[in-house]
Amino acid sequence: MTFTLKYKDTLEEKEIPNDNYSIKDLINELGLSAQTVVSKQNGELVIEDTIIQDGDEIQLVQIIYGG
Amino acid sequence: MDCTKCGNPHVIIKREQSGQYLCKDCFIESIEKKVIKTIRKEKLLDKGDKVLVALSGGKDSVTALEILNSFRKMNIIDICAVTVDEGIDNYRQDGVDIAIRHAQRLGIEHKVVSLKDTYGITLDEIMEKPNHKGSCSYCGVFRRTIINKAAREMGATKIATGHNLDDEVQAIMMNYLEGNTDNLTKLGPKTESKAEEFTVKIKPLREIPEREIGLYVVAKDLEVHFASCPYAQQSFRGEISDVINQLCESHPTLKYSTLRGYDKIRKALKDDFKKKYDHGRCEKCGEPAANRLCKACSFLEELAGD
Repeated sequence: MTFTLKYKDTLEEKEIPNDNYSIKDLINELGLSAQTVVSKQNGELVIEDTIIQDGDEIQLVQIIYGG
Repeated sequence: MDCTKCGNPHVIIKREQSGQYLCKDCFIESIEKKVIKTIRKEKLLDKGDKVLVALSGGKDSVTALEILNSFRKMNIIDICAVTVDEGIDNYRQDGVDIAIRHAQRLGIEHKVVSLKDTYGITLDEIMEKPNHKGSCSYCGVFRRTIINKAAREMGATKIATGHNLDDEVQAIMMNYLEGNTDNLTKLGPKTESKAEEFTVKIKPLREIPEREIGLYVVAKDLEVHFASCPYAQQSFRGEISDVINQLCESHPTLKYSTLRGYDKIRKALKDDFKKKYDHGRCEKCGEPAANRLCKACSFLEELAGD
């Protein structure tokens, strides 16, 4: 079971490690802060508690830059 | 979870501070209502105002423009905008182009003013000087002076900036921790100066968290410049921001309570600590100045001497 991660103009196919793998888990795994990104599942804005499904395209849009 | 307001199952935000879940339409409406409420509560606008929006093309200023435009559509105010081009290669032009497109879309008077045309030097050129004081010092002073001048030239009665809740709370905490009571007296939704050359500044977004502004522009499909300034550095403000955001994970109402607490003591702070500056004129440019030269001209003199 895989999904496509779209982040900063790059696409990457990733494995879904378990049945309850959420966007929040993905954000944590990438070392990002949920405060700095918003998430889309198959083009629609969703909350970070959303569970990633097989074949999803998950886009993380960085909205806050440090400095 | 369904939208707390309308029951729509497609929610786009879970507000930790209130436990509310909102769908796209209810979220957009809630942001616009909140900003309008701040404007009314703090009396930020008067009928007939001409509001100059300091429009960088980033999420905050584009949101301020978008929501203030609803007052323009009701013929309560007029709006114009200024964009400052600091002269930062591979960064600023995208924001300038986006600002121009928003001004055209809304049909508002807009001007782009560059540091190069105004002061004969770009920020990139300043940063090549050996004894520069850091990009943010120059950028802040030159930008503020340009925006003030533009307000006078365009006949604006107010200047609106995109300062959000995070910006305000960071400023409160930074100045408190540094013991800077003078700066603490200058914060707030509306800043007025005794020098009439300084146009009143308003912050209509000061009660909206930064992340929600980001979500608002994405939800509304507004074109904005999402990018990091190449001169952005790890500043004290950045450290404060990290600490506050970390604390907010277990105390989600903290930013609001910090702002509310500050607002309660704001008047007392001003009464007891506001310094009375003698406003003279800058010998060089004639802008209001506390000393012989205004800050912009004194920077220019230092830079010319390098």
